[in-house]
Amino acid sequence: MSGERIVVEAARKHYGAVPVFEALDLAVRDGETVCILGPSGCGKTTLLRTMHGLVQLDGGRILVDGTTVTGPRRNVAMVFQHFGLMPWKRTRDNVAYGVELAGLSQATVTERVDRYIALVGLQGFERHYPYQLSGGMQQRVGLARALALEPNVLLMDEPFGALDALTREVLQDELLRIYQRAHVDRDGRAAPPAMVFITHSIEESIALGDRIVVLSERPARVREILSVDIPRPRTVASVVAHPRFVELRDRCWRLLRERAAA
Amino acid sequence: MLASLAGARGGMTVPSAQAQAQAPAVTKRRTFGPRGGDWATRLGAIAVLLLIWEFLAPGWNPLIIRPPSAIARAFVELVESGELQTALVISLRAFVAGLAIATVIGVLLGIVTGRWRFAYNALDPVVSALYSVPSVALIPLIGFIFKFQGDAPRVAAVALFCVFPVLINTQQGVRNVDRGLLEVARAFNTSERRLWTDVIIPSSLPFMLAGIRLSIGRGLIGMIVAEFFIGLVGLGYLIIQYGNVFRIDRMFVPVIVVAALGIVFMGLVQWLEGRVAPWLRREH
Repeated sequence: MSGERIVVEAARKHYGAVPVFEALDLAVRDGETVCILGPSGCGKTTLLRTMHGLVQLDGGRILVDGTTVTGPRRNVAMVFQHFGLMPWKRTRDNVAYGVELAGLSQATVTERVDRYIALVGLQGFERHYPYQLSGGMQQRVGLARALALEPNVLLMDEPFGALDALTREVLQDELLRIYQRAHVDRDGRAAPPAMVFITHSIEESIALGDRIVVLSERPARVREILSVDIPRPRTVASVVAHPRFVELRDRCWRLLRERAAA
Repeated sequence: MLASLAGARGGMTVPSAQAQAQAPAVTKRRTFGPRGGDWATRLGAIAVLLLIWEFLAPGWNPLIIRPPSAIARAFVELVESGELQTALVISLRAFVAGLAIATVIGVLLGIVTGRWRFAYNALDPVVSALYSVPSVALIPLIGFIFKFQGDAPRVAAVALFCVFPVLINTQQGVRNVDRGLLEVARAFNTSERRLWTDVIIPSSLPFMLAGIRLSIGRGLIGMIVAEFFIGLVGLGYLIIQYGNVFRIDRMFVPVIVVAALGIVFMGLVQWLEGRVAPWLRREH
């Protein structure tokens, strides 16, 4: 296994006197998907924001590719729960937004935009405004915008949390497919992307994750790290049908409920 | 407010740009826009009103009220003599120039005060004070400043009446930029210039246009009042002139023309909104 992409060391964050998380340690390896699972309001999203330097830590440090995170960087991309599309931009322009800002040549931008619009299945919707797209399609745009940067690290902030159950499952399958494709597409690349996926859905974390980091309630600490030993390529259906699924789900449930009861 | 001012237009509907960003799923609602029946109702209501007016008017003192037919005749007379066209051109010139100046100043000051705390603190007392004073009270002062000569004092009056809605709305628009989108911009390493062109300006555009729409009504008041007190020209002077000689029929002609101007300019801004902000195709 290759090296560590993200290292979180003794991370501490307070809002005023209220601790959000304390003494948090975590490592994400190359090409690995780590799902961060925790009760609502436990500081999962804040943790993800600190990984991108959108929020500063009060103690400890976070390293991405060996350097301390101080602010957003070009090799890290983020997908947002609220999609975060510009309502005044058409699909193409929304997807192009990140790549354009990365200062790539116009030809590269065009090529990337075409490729990632195709990858997320949005051909034919290039000239649509977000309001003309369903929620699921809007998040495909958000996903394409992040993927088009071809980042080393993909930070996913409950990206499917705002979608209905059916759309969510379709997009989970899409993400599994896209992500497996992305690995293959990157044969020549030295640095396969790592993904950190925030969720409060146990099923989602098992379906998508190589490992699941279960956080406690505030102040959040790492309660336990579970390995999801279900082979890839996966689909949501194949994961749910896998004999390990039920064991993992029960384990996650117990970890989350112990805390809630305490 | 924006939605209610969005007016009648066809097409799909969404609650609002901001709400849309958080909308969980498809938010296409059934069209609630203009239909043939709506227009029939509107025109029918006006026709009924005019008919009632026509039949009740003869019972009143003709010095106070004249029937629509008499006003229509007066309209033709004023057009034939050329008085109406001359007055309309003079009034329109001042109105358009004043509105344009107010838009430029209002948008610029709105952006500056909306974005920088220092500018807001420095300008807010003056803006609040001037906005609280009935603009009409400042008309004589404007007359003196511009020596009652030419278009300038009337242009300034219109600009004074128009500038505050544009300024305050732009300021609100700039301050109300979706914080989620600002974070997205940061997450993608947006430069300051791109932050303005990609996020702040487009997001406050609907507020600016709503401000311009609000200022149209105020600007027409400013135009007429300035013509009453400063210029003694244009549509306002026609009103005074024929009011003084009790030609109520002729006095009503410029009043109706001003009402028509309001409708035309409102429609113009609405059309402009569809052109510059096509993502706002939504209904009230």
